[in-house]
Amino acid sequence: MEGQTTTNQPVTFTTQTQYPLPSQKFMIPTNWKRYHLSQLVNKALGLEKSVPFDFLVRGEILRSTLAEWCAENGVGEEETLDIEYIESVLPPQKMSEFPHESWVSSVSCELPSHILTAAYDGYLRAFDLSKNVVLSAPIHNAPITSFSILPSETTADMDGNSTYTVVTSSQDLTSNISQVTIPTVGSPSSSKVLASLHLHTAPVSSISADAKGKQLLTSSWDGLIGLWDTTIPSSDEVPEPETTGGERRKRRKVQKDESKPKRKAPVNVLKSHVGRVSKVTWTSSSTALSSGFDATVRTWDVENGVCTRTISASEKPFLDVAVTPNGQSALGVSTDRTMTMYDLRATEFSAATATFLHPSTPSCVAVSGGNTSVNQVVTGSYDGVVRVWDLRSTKAAVALFKAWEGKGQKVLSVDWRRDVVAVGGEGGLDVWKVQAGAGGSETGVEARNKVSA
Amino acid sequence: MLTDDEDDEYDPDAESDGGVDEFPEIDADSDSDEDEGEEDEDFSGEEDEEDEEESSSEDSELESDYHVGPRAKTVISGITGQPKKVYPEIEPDYDSDSSTEEATNRVGNVPMHWYDDMPHIGYDVNGKKVLRPATSDELDKFLATVDDPDSWTTAFDKTSQQEKPLTSEELDIIRRLYAGENPDAEYDPYEPMVEWFTGKGKEEVMPLSAAPEPKRRWIRSKWEKQKIMKIVRAIRAGRIVPNKPKTTSKFEFYSIWSSEASTSAPPALPAPKTALPTNAESYNPPEEYLLTEEEKKEWEEKDPEDRERDFVPQKYASLRHVPAYDRFIQERFSRQLDLYLAPRVQRKKLNIDPSSLIPKLPSPSSLKPFPNYQSLKVSHPKGRARCVSVSPDGAWGVSGDEDGVVSLWEVNVGCEIKRWKFEGKIGSIEWCPRQDISCFAVGIEETIHILVPPNVDSAILSQTQALLVPATLAPAASTHPSVKWSSTSASSWSVDKPMLSLTLPQSSGVPTQLHWHRKGDYFASVSTGGASQNGVWVHQLSKRHSQAPFKKIKGSVQAVLFHPTQPHFFVATQQYVRLYNLAEQKLVKTLMPGIRWISCMDVHPSGDHLIVGGYDRKLCWFDLELSEKPYKVMKYHSRAIRSLHFHPTYPLFASASDDGSIQIFHSRVYNDLMTDPLIVPLKILRGHQVTDGLGVLQVKWVPKQPWLASAAADGTVAVWCS
Repeated sequence: MEGQTTTNQPVTFTTQTQYPLPSQKFMIPTNWKRYHLSQLVNKALGLEKSVPFDFLVRGEILRSTLAEWCAENGVGEEETLDIEYIESVLPPQKMSEFPHESWVSSVSCELPSHILTAAYDGYLRAFDLSKNVVLSAPIHNAPITSFSILPSETTADMDGNSTYTVVTSSQDLTSNISQVTIPTVGSPSSSKVLASLHLHTAPVSSISADAKGKQLLTSSWDGLIGLWDTTIPSSDEVPEPETTGGERRKRRKVQKDESKPKRKAPVNVLKSHVGRVSKVTWTSSSTALSSGFDATVRTWDVENGVCTRTISASEKPFLDVAVTPNGQSALGVSTDRTMTMYDLRATEFSAATATFLHPSTPSCVAVSGGNTSVNQVVTGSYDGVVRVWDLRSTKAAVALFKAWEGKGQKVLSVDWRRDVVAVGGEGGLDVWKVQAGAGGSETGVEARNKVSA
Repeated sequence: MLTDDEDDEYDPDAESDGGVDEFPEIDADSDSDEDEGEEDEDFSGEEDEEDEEESSSEDSELESDYHVGPRAKTVISGITGQPKKVYPEIEPDYDSDSSTEEATNRVGNVPMHWYDDMPHIGYDVNGKKVLRPATSDELDKFLATVDDPDSWTTAFDKTSQQEKPLTSEELDIIRRLYAGENPDAEYDPYEPMVEWFTGKGKEEVMPLSAAPEPKRRWIRSKWEKQKIMKIVRAIRAGRIVPNKPKTTSKFEFYSIWSSEASTSAPPALPAPKTALPTNAESYNPPEEYLLTEEEKKEWEEKDPEDRERDFVPQKYASLRHVPAYDRFIQERFSRQLDLYLAPRVQRKKLNIDPSSLIPKLPSPSSLKPFPNYQSLKVSHPKGRARCVSVSPDGAWGVSGDEDGVVSLWEVNVGCEIKRWKFEGKIGSIEWCPRQDISCFAVGIEETIHILVPPNVDSAILSQTQALLVPATLAPAASTHPSVKWSSTSASSWSVDKPMLSLTLPQSSGVPTQLHWHRKGDYFASVSTGGASQNGVWVHQLSKRHSQAPFKKIKGSVQAVLFHPTQPHFFVATQQYVRLYNLAEQKLVKTLMPGIRWISCMDVHPSGDHLIVGGYDRKLCWFDLELSEKPYKVMKYHSRAIRSLHFHPTYPLFASASDDGSIQIFHSRVYNDLMTDPLIVPLKILRGHQVTDGLGVLQVKWVPKQPWLASAAADGTVAVWCS
């Protein structure tokens, strides 16, 4: 359909999306770009609603014309190219920026109507979508490092106030189980620390609740991983430290004696890491994954408390780890500016399957929760840039955006659920809309039309 | 015979020969008397008789006295009638020289050309004309040489005007003269010697003179002595050098041809050969060698140097049509140039690749991990970040600035957790290396505070308190009187306050360096800029005791260090580093780095190596086992070096400079004493700004990780990650 002067390239299309093309060789003019190819696929499929596609040529997303790509990679005209197409990641759009008093160490957009943040001033905050702070609870006296919402404890009273049980980990060596009530507009919020978890002798780096909300895992800088249940004990399981000097012990809680949180002891301690444990997360109801500064990623049989597998990387202190939704791979970000994908099923010694290079230290990684697209993750890094990666394309991020108007402030936490990416860090809280493609939500339609037009 | 004298001498002989010429008219006038001659009597007897008569009458009286030779007869001359002496005819025998002579011409020694026009050539003794002999022509001479074998021994007689044969005696004389001998055949050069004075019985027994021996024969000469003394004095004064090595400046001859031409030298290279003509140079080249129009145009447009060929192939039908070679001179010239410029000698050129001279260093990528990028920054907005320190577990960093702010931050995130504010500049900050307690020392003007970070484990906190604020205070008597220890009691202490404070003496200046002993009980402080010169203090926490180890020290102390394994103490003054043994209280070693002003130093964790940095940009590496001189001096910074630090576990060290850069070195130290330490420059970290001429002020490694924290004058503290 193009002029006779252009050369054609034989191409076969493959896909893992729900829009497969018949296996057939196409002769594609080499001056075509992504847009033309996307139109071609749409036309060939006869979709009534156009779906934008991105095209992976040998694991690399096609950004230029086909001819330029071929010249760059030295592919001749006779060679048949296998092009895989995936649904496009639309350009991220900023939804809103929330002013925040302190650095945000952890963020969650798990709740449908609220975004929760944990900050370095020890407060747990909840924002509604109109940027109002609806909850500001001083859970800890020291910076909170991470938090997790227990899924089963959500209740709502007659005023529409929702009460959640939140577990937080802090640099004051403890973790807390607290009950927070996120009110509707106008009502006062309330929070109450139910129990404090005492095990660690160093700041607790992360806390994670399992899917049922029955068990917790905490990881600490002292190299231990604590396993806890979520029941609130009636009395202190751990005695108060001996107060040799009366009031000399540092007071952490500003609560009355009767409502003083119960001191809780761990169910089990998982010991295997030789350095700081930076992150622990559940992978199923009985297995967990942890990463540490000793450059290892470990999988745990939580019930038996044994380390089932150790993936050792060289000189990669891991800052965060995440599991892909299919549970087959772990993604660890480390201070050598890489995100590395490890195959958890592989029995070979080297399990690294892909490396994603960042220009700055990546501090956090998140997979899109509750989404079917298993191949996309976001990472936040210290240069203030959040990148969306497709795990099949290691060369470059499929999309990136700069949080906080590109001031270069550090991103410390990202969360991605329901096409919303919440970014927490030095600049506070930023919320962006990032669609991983397959959704089909109403809000994406206009943008999609804009892209494909 | 040839001369006139001889003629006179032998007159009688001549007269006898004169008779050969038989001319009647001459005979009448002839002087010679040949009457007496026995042989010539036949034809001239009459005339001789007449002559003899005359001569005998004249000389008779004279001959009576003595007689030598033939006796004359006095006869009456027939012509004159006067008596005359007539001598007997001399018999021509072998004794006579003039036996064959016919010396009839008696003209004497006159030029003979006077007689050239005359028919005669002179007159004989009798006054008769001697007629000119017939001259033989050349043919006759030739025939004479043919006929007579002796004709070559003739000589031309001037007086007789004819050739005369030489006699055998004359020939002998000629031969002797020719041979250089005495011409006299009688002469005997080897006559026996006659002894007149020597020989037996003729010895002289008496002296020639009877004078007594003069004094000078046996008394030494005064003047010679004076001359010798003059020389001796000159030798003593050094004006004359005895046994002076003789200057052999004299040109020494040698035979240049004696030795053979040295065969060791390679033979001279042959001259380069001219290139053989190719097909294109033929007068009738194949078609493919001919240039097309475009090629010819291109050829003409090119510079002569760029042309592939310096001619255009031409085609001619026959050799007759080939014109004269127009480039002959040029070609000869280029050939001469070839010959002239061609190297005739094989030069041994040293083809050394400069890169091969650089010592082989492993590539930095093989020496990973080392910090190579700036991970995060902590800012001190109000003042220069002067000092930084990282906790022993590598989790926390503290930094102090000149505004008096001490900031505690997480190394990994860079978020400031805690801030202390003091009056005055923070000069130094250092974590206590002990694991069982958690505290750090901060040096402010004339004060050292011991601070405890927040959120420490209660067990560690209580141990720290027990150490810093013991329930029962040790007796304060042992404390140096000028250093005051004051602590905050446990009840009134909060994390904002220092748990322990040391007040140094007045006007001692800012403690610019704090250094903990590895066991964490002692720490040393160095104050510079104060009034007192001696700013070194060693403090002991457990006994709350401070002491000044040096009563007086030469030079102003810049830095001190505890040896990591031995009770040794390094003290760096401006130019020297001294190593003291604290247990024995004596100087062990003085290191001379050759730096004009030492700024900082650090000791390798093994304790065997020391690095010293100076304000004159030099970095010296000392092997303490080796020498007092540096093992290696590096000058890689463009401005003064401010800080040095060895990584406690990794083989790395870092140097910070006022040029705003941090340099990372790999420094592998071998246990093998024979192997030198390997120092490889790895990375220059840039990112700090130079403000007011100050760059990076302090660097500290993060323990357990290959990360680096750096405090800079631009008010930022950066963490560099691998």
